[in-house]
Amino acid sequence: MIDNQIKLFLVDDDAVFLKLLQIQFLEHADFVIETYPTGELCIENLMHAPDVIILDYHLDGIDKNAMNGIETLDKIKAFNADIIVVMLSSQDKIEVAINCMHHQAFDYVVKSETAFLKLQKIITNIFKYKKLEKTLRWYMERV
Amino acid sequence: MDLKKLKRDNAVLMASDNQEVMMAILKGEDMVIQNANSTILESWGKGKDVIGKSLFVVLPEILEQGIHTILLNVFKTGIPFHAYEMPVNVIRHGVLEPSFYTFVYQAQRNLQNEINGVAIIANEVTQEVLFRDKLAHNELRYENLIQSLPTAVYTCDAEGYIQLFNKAAAKLWGREPVIGKERWTGSWKLFSLDGAPIALDSSPMAMALKEGRIVPEMEIISEKPDGTKCFIRPHLQLIFNEKGEKAGAVNTLIDVTSIRKSQKELKIKEEHFYKKIQEDQVKHAHELENKILRRTREINVANAILEDKNLELEIAKGKLFSEYARSLIEASLDPLVTISVEGKITDLNQAMENITGKTRAHLIGTDFFEYFTDPEKARAVYQLVFDKGFVTDFPLTIRDHKATDVLFNGSLYKDELGNVLGAVVVARDITEQKLIEKELIEAKVFAELATLIAEEAKAKAESAALTAEVAVKSKQQFLSNMSHEIRTPMNAIIGFTKVMLKTDLSAKQMEYLSAIKLSGDALIVLINDILDLAKVDAGKMTFENTPFKLSLSIGAMLHLFETKIQEKNLALVKAYDERIPEVLLGDPVRLHQIILNLVSNSVKFTADGQISVSVKMINETAHDVTVEFAISDTGIGIEADKLETIFENFQQATATTSKQYGGTGLGLAIVKQLVEQQGGSVSLVSKVGEGSTFSFILTFQKTTQEVDTEPEYQELDRNEIQTIKVLVVEDMPLNQLLMKTLLDDFGFERDIASNGKIAIEKLKSNSYDIILMDLHMPEMNGFEATEYIRKTMDLKIPIVALTADVTTVDLAKCRAVGMNDFLAKPVDERSLYGKIVGLVKKPVFDHEAHTMENEALKRLKYTNMNYLAERTKSNPALMMDMIEAFLEQTPPLVKAMKKSFQDKDWDGLYAAVHKMIPSFSIMGISADFEMMAKKIQEYAHTKQEAHQIPPMVLHLEKVLTHAFEELEDEFRALKNKKI
Repeated sequence: MIDNQIKLFLVDDDAVFLKLLQIQFLEHADFVIETYPTGELCIENLMHAPDVIILDYHLDGIDKNAMNGIETLDKIKAFNADIIVVMLSSQDKIEVAINCMHHQAFDYVVKSETAFLKLQKIITNIFKYKKLEKTLRWYMERV
Repeated sequence: MDLKKLKRDNAVLMASDNQEVMMAILKGEDMVIQNANSTILESWGKGKDVIGKSLFVVLPEILEQGIHTILLNVFKTGIPFHAYEMPVNVIRHGVLEPSFYTFVYQAQRNLQNEINGVAIIANEVTQEVLFRDKLAHNELRYENLIQSLPTAVYTCDAEGYIQLFNKAAAKLWGREPVIGKERWTGSWKLFSLDGAPIALDSSPMAMALKEGRIVPEMEIISEKPDGTKCFIRPHLQLIFNEKGEKAGAVNTLIDVTSIRKSQKELKIKEEHFYKKIQEDQVKHAHELENKILRRTREINVANAILEDKNLELEIAKGKLFSEYARSLIEASLDPLVTISVEGKITDLNQAMENITGKTRAHLIGTDFFEYFTDPEKARAVYQLVFDKGFVTDFPLTIRDHKATDVLFNGSLYKDELGNVLGAVVVARDITEQKLIEKELIEAKVFAELATLIAEEAKAKAESAALTAEVAVKSKQQFLSNMSHEIRTPMNAIIGFTKVMLKTDLSAKQMEYLSAIKLSGDALIVLINDILDLAKVDAGKMTFENTPFKLSLSIGAMLHLFETKIQEKNLALVKAYDERIPEVLLGDPVRLHQIILNLVSNSVKFTADGQISVSVKMINETAHDVTVEFAISDTGIGIEADKLETIFENFQQATATTSKQYGGTGLGLAIVKQLVEQQGGSVSLVSKVGEGSTFSFILTFQKTTQEVDTEPEYQELDRNEIQTIKVLVVEDMPLNQLLMKTLLDDFGFERDIASNGKIAIEKLKSNSYDIILMDLHMPEMNGFEATEYIRKTMDLKIPIVALTADVTTVDLAKCRAVGMNDFLAKPVDERSLYGKIVGLVKKPVFDHEAHTMENEALKRLKYTNMNYLAERTKSNPALMMDMIEAFLEQTPPLVKAMKKSFQDKDWDGLYAAVHKMIPSFSIMGISADFEMMAKKIQEYAHTKQEAHQIPPMVLHLEKVLTHAFEELEDEFRALKNKKI
């Protein structure tokens, strides 16, 4: 069912990790996935209306002029605050995590072998709540 | 005539190039053009050059038109000639415009008052002509329209004099009133419904015009001159002029006689017709009124062309609005009632009829309060409206069949003079709303409950996941521990048994020792089985891809069973398909394991008859061959209902099987796992009492590689052996003793160190040819010791790891720290000998250190596909995608790393290494190298040149270069697999 498909943006300048994530998510038929190597491309394609964006924190690693993860996050939130953004980083630092949270990230996941499982769990939870919210809104609309 | 004045007039006229005036002065009988303004020249289509020429020459056509006789007549008689509204084509702003001019031909006189010429003067009257035409046209149209209407319509001026009436009106009245003479109405006589006569100057039209009072839905009786009466519903509309003054009124008369009559006759049916007819008539009336209004507007517009147009528009808007009102009221779904000052219903809409279930006729004139469950409260609403002028959202309940809850909104309505005429109240049915409110509350409660439940479920699921994770981990840990704890003592038992069997023994002793060894071997097999299954569960099962000879492999394996088969007096039948290529790529050890399990099962469960093993090629492509292996017996067979579960863990054909025949029930489970993990399939055909056939299909890659000859059987010269000095690093005294015995037996020199620290001390003072290194030891373990030996002591001595726990992590670690090979415990005598001799004998060690390091690096594998295989479920296409992505991304990063390192660009170095790190674990590159990369990253972060960096960068580069090569090979292998 198209209605139940979740549109997912994966944004990471690390092509290997990006590919792996994509493969993981593709195994689940209920995801429609678009991948972008830069924050700029992600922003340009926001009109494709993603439900969830998984965004790398360190997008300006090689290209110093590239938009970094936090800037991208701010732009996404400015475009539509309802888009859920989960930050991804190879840095296991609490300051980074808190910084992401301050910029309205939904969650923060450290890149590791278990990152995918964590992401999957997070997304599952997101949609559990979204579904509840939707149900509630449906009732509200009837009034 | 005053000459001066004449001249001045002429000059003024000539000078005026006003387009609205045409002017020409002609002289003499020949009408020589003395002067002409540009407008007239344009209308002639001539230029200024015609001045001085005769008009008859310039415009010969006027001779035909007869104009010349007119001109000559004026010239002769002096009587001016007027030609009104003549069509003339004039060019304005370059556009040809048909225009109308009124011409005057005027005789010109000289000072002697003699006629000497004719002046042509023309004034433009286009606007007037067009307007009049339009007006006439409109008048005619509306006249026709009104006349053709089936409904009676007439208009009066402000004084009440009849201005216009249509045929229908005349028919209704039974006479034709005199327009402009008769006032108010064309009716002969008027009566109210109760029969009282109404004076004509009190007729609805008179009331509307005189007092501005229009009573809606009023009915009167009109009598024709012949005495017939009809019921009329007048529908009045005041007309205002552009100044907002009352200019008259339109009255639409609806003949309701027939309805009245049928009302009396058919009380019930009437309701239906009444509504329909009434609506039709109202619609007609509306159309009619609209049309009249439009006409009025047209007239007003026409007037306003000369005066002011804006005001009219405002009024028109207002009128239009009032026309919509009724239909809006009727269309409203909310019951709508107008009540008089006395509280009587004066008007209502369809919705009110619907909700009360009573007809309009029934409702009008009755008390408003009666229709509510609480009349006192309803009275309060009514009072509130008249006191305050409005009421909002006043709750009441309508007394209908279901007591509808409504909210009342009302306000007063007044006539133009501000007199209160009554109130309009709207009742909103809130039944639905109340229902939804209730539903909302329910929904909210439900949603809150659902959220609560969801949260609980989430917490439960999370804790369950945690528990499961912990359980899996502890299971793996347990198995790993068990393998270590059981296998270590078993090593000693089996090892010493083997050693003892070589000594001089009595026959009895020999028999007992053989029994001990047999039991020990069986136990090791069982432990290995359990470990294999645990590995499969953990996704750690890996398969080699080495060249091997299939027929040799099968032959050697069956050879193992020959004694046993002979003992049981069974026949062994072999069938081998000779078309199978000699050398194939695959995992011979696992293949052994599979066939061993199946054949030993067959032997175990067959009392007499035969065991047959067949190997058949069922498919061959350019790259690979698919082989079917079948093992059949004439044994006890398996019941049909067990065929499904026989391959599951700890399953045997019957509960008593293990009692009778022994076994753990793991064999077939392992077979299934091993075959399926290699992309093959198992199947089983069996019949109780007749026998079983187990078969499996595997695909092997073809290869041109040669099979490595085993170094194990290499014999060394006595001299060389003498020189071999072995250092054994082992903490367990039993194992120390076993190794000592074995090495003594080989004739090697040996020394024992019980941990890494002691070994290092010994290495400092003595020299050895090879080190056998246990991994798990107190004080300093095998990894730490090896790292120290390789890095700090910088020794190239071959190191062989001894381990009971052969997991991939440990092996990767062995390679990473620089061990050359490994041996699994319990140590096989022959492979120990082979490995020692092979490593010591290799000429590599005589070469310079550099080559040796390369050689050593080559022997180790830097990547493994376990993680990737697990993540992609071994899908070759996906794995290829991943490898491709890695090979695209990482080499440039390595280059960037080297360049920024050379340029001392620490930020660049940091960034390059940082980006590399996450893909290490994906490609199975050892955690040690990941640590190395992280260290480089840390040093780069401090932005200081550290002496540790250069060797690490170079090492990492080397490691990754090898990794790239390995991955390229892997990529090609996957490609072949995919094809």
